[in-house]
Amino acid sequence: MPIELLVQALLNGFGLAVVYVLVALGLTLIFSILEVINFAHGEFYMLGGFAAYYLFAVGGLNYFATLVLAVLLVGLAGVVAERLVFRHLRGKTLNAFIVSLGLLWVLQATAQLSFGVLDKSVPSAVSGIVRVGGVIVSRERLLVILTAVALITGLYLFLKFTRTGQAMRAVAQDADAAALQGVNIELASALGFGIGCALAGAAGALLAPIFAVSPTMGALPVVKAFIIIIVGGMGSLPGAVLGGLLLGAVEGVGTLFMSSAAVNILGFLMVIAILLLRPRGLLGAA
Amino acid sequence: MPPELRRVDGWIGFGLLLAAGVAVPLLTHDSYHLDVATVTLRNLLLTMSLRYVMSTGQLNMAHVSFMGIAAYASALLVTRAGWSFWAALPVAPLLAALAAVPVGRVALRVSGPYYFLISFAFLEVLRLVFNNFFVDYLGGPSGLVEIPPAHPLPLTGGAVTFTSKLAQYWLMLVLFLASAAVLIRLEFSRFGLVNGAIRQGELLAETLGVNVPRYKLGAFVLGAFFAGVAGVFFAHSQRVLHSSDFGLEPMVLLVAFTVMGGAGSVWGPVVGTLVLAVASELLRELHHYEILVYGLVLMVVMLFFPDGLVALPGRVARWFGRGRAKDGASTLGAGLAP
Amino acid sequence: MLLELRDVSKRFGGLQAVAAVSMTVTAGTIHGLIGPNGAGKSTVFNLITGVLPLTSGEIRFKGERISTLRPSEICRRGIARTFQATTLFREFTVLDNVMAASHLGAERGFVRTLLATAAYRVREAAALARARDVLGAVRLLDAAGLRAGALPHRDQRALSLAMVLATGADLVILDEPLAGLTTQESEDAMKALRALRAGGKTILLVEHDMRAVMGLCDVVTVLDHGVRIAEGMPRDIQANPAVIEAYLGAEDTRA
Repeated sequence: MPIELLVQALLNGFGLAVVYVLVALGLTLIFSILEVINFAHGEFYMLGGFAAYYLFAVGGLNYFATLVLAVLLVGLAGVVAERLVFRHLRGKTLNAFIVSLGLLWVLQATAQLSFGVLDKSVPSAVSGIVRVGGVIVSRERLLVILTAVALITGLYLFLKFTRTGQAMRAVAQDADAAALQGVNIELASALGFGIGCALAGAAGALLAPIFAVSPTMGALPVVKAFIIIIVGGMGSLPGAVLGGLLLGAVEGVGTLFMSSAAVNILGFLMVIAILLLRPRGLLGAA
Repeated sequence: MPPELRRVDGWIGFGLLLAAGVAVPLLTHDSYHLDVATVTLRNLLLTMSLRYVMSTGQLNMAHVSFMGIAAYASALLVTRAGWSFWAALPVAPLLAALAAVPVGRVALRVSGPYYFLISFAFLEVLRLVFNNFFVDYLGGPSGLVEIPPAHPLPLTGGAVTFTSKLAQYWLMLVLFLASAAVLIRLEFSRFGLVNGAIRQGELLAETLGVNVPRYKLGAFVLGAFFAGVAGVFFAHSQRVLHSSDFGLEPMVLLVAFTVMGGAGSVWGPVVGTLVLAVASELLRELHHYEILVYGLVLMVVMLFFPDGLVALPGRVARWFGRGRAKDGASTLGAGLAP
Repeated sequence: MLLELRDVSKRFGGLQAVAAVSMTVTAGTIHGLIGPNGAGKSTVFNLITGVLPLTSGEIRFKGERISTLRPSEICRRGIARTFQATTLFREFTVLDNVMAASHLGAERGFVRTLLATAAYRVREAAALARARDVLGAVRLLDAAGLRAGALPHRDQRALSLAMVLATGADLVILDEPLAGLTTQESEDAMKALRALRAGGKTILLVEHDMRAVMGLCDVVTVLDHGVRIAEGMPRDIQANPAVIEAYLGAEDTRA
């Protein structure tokens, strides 16, 4: 097989996976700080996509400004959801799951009532392609990849080097100990949820020009996100990145050899393999 | 009081279910109403069996998969192997239970949210298999069609056919009552006690002589068996099978019904399923608003009643200052801590 | 010789928690296991009861090798324990807690349970009677209908002990049974333990209250940093220079 074909396949795979990593990071951040599996996470992705549609496609706003605004708006929505609903459910995974299911329906139905059920397309932010050897990548995709990597790096720096970020990590490790040390749990919880949703919103806004925007667009990315965090390790941020790379590679190469239906199964087989061999995930805590 | 001594509660509850179940066809012969009642009974069977598994602390997201396995098995046994429905009826759920053994064993190797996730993975994989593999047998994306209804039963005074909604209702009622009798009996016996102990403290139960994995697997397999019974009925009443019938959407609905009613009590799923069935009917006209209201109801109930609706009478009683904690009820008002 | 540990070791990654500890517990005695914090005492309990696997060595109970059995199997052979942090089934009533413990041996019988056969009913009645007896022995019979989680600390400890007794175990392993008790409550507890011994039970306990240990135990084993440094009668242990050294050393580092 020509090497360019393989590289192209990997690149296509990674290009998508890096965005799913954003969604996964958001999900795992929320889980690590609140111990809550937010089933409605995909809806925040969807909100990001619609923010991009209305600001960029309809409103004509500059794409970068759109991204920033979309992230902020969805992040704010996340904080509201946390303050109203999820802070009462910290640690109660089962109940939170049901509540997030209700939230999913509420957001879905609201979106369908407000935006209509049909797909909406969003024009590309940049046009043209870049060619390196035999490998082709569109400028749009390149923009997506670079922005996603920038966001991931930004998150890493925030959590590692800022006081607030470190406080959030402390809460993720051991909420009781962190509280004893004077960390503001409420703030960490609200910020964590907000940032988690903001990451999903960013992913939605980034992929809006590539895929159509619709109220149901959040379903697939959230499934991919779950696969990524199971493989990488629940609650582990580097694990999410590693899981995403693996998923991207597997799915990218997989499309060369099998139908898209079978490729979907690959991800789940990865999950089952991980859960059999190393249940906590590649980089998950024991 | 230990469950065994409370078994009168079980008899009373079962009696109420029996009475209500028999009353329905006496009150209405309307095809639509009977259909709704039949589906509700089927959901009741699914949520009660799911709840039995959950009572050991296992949140099994693959419950509908076993419904699917039995559904497809029964359909194939009848259409391909020429079996009678009545022969497939006991065998297909057994096949589902057999399939549950390795799945349950694997899932038991992890705990907590990981268990939830691995069962979710099984759910999706099986749905993908139903949808994309063995297309000659399972029908692929267009589904498996032309499944015959239950074969006529020769009884005194002629054969009983199962093509009418009324006959299907009676069949489902009998299946439900038989299954509910087993599940209720188990709940109010030492099995119920041990399951509850496992849920509250696995290590403690183990050091007190309970072989926890064996009990958990047993509950898992039993749950799968009864999901299979629902599956067989589903196959021969809907008469079309599609992979989406056994995927995430129906599964989360079952979880919602169960938890909203209260997973801590054997009657929780009954309350939850009935309430949401009624709500669904009332909201049917509203289309998108239906889903919106449904979602709001779910959120509000879970926030204000973390133990589920079944805890409502207890909460009301405590509000009026009477009574102390009933067996199995956990602390008051845990949902709205500041 | 009821319980025998032969060269038992436990390693957690790089940490050697227990190193080649040998110990015997004689039937009908109260045997104390003491040592400074971190000496490995709770680990030894976890190894005996099968909660943790051994890295090497062997544990025998009534002559039978139990080191590879799972905890429920070990419990069925006659060993039951309490935990340092009082562990109960908090949502259950006091009576249900003890009933859960007295169902030992009732493993088989799914069909018999379903049909509530005569044999099943007889066993249930016996379990209920045993539960009542045990609650009476720890004086919690009046509290039988209360939620376990709502009990005061002292009663929770008594309930733990009742559950252990309900299993019918011959060897009762207690992890700090006197922790958090007042002087009077400790006296009562010690009396209860002596009564158990008189009734034929064997008791292995970890305790930090030295006065209690000296007053209660027939034999004492001393651990320090995972190693057995002394074993013998309380009086001899008290005077043993190695033991004094170990505790003093711990005193210094505790500053």
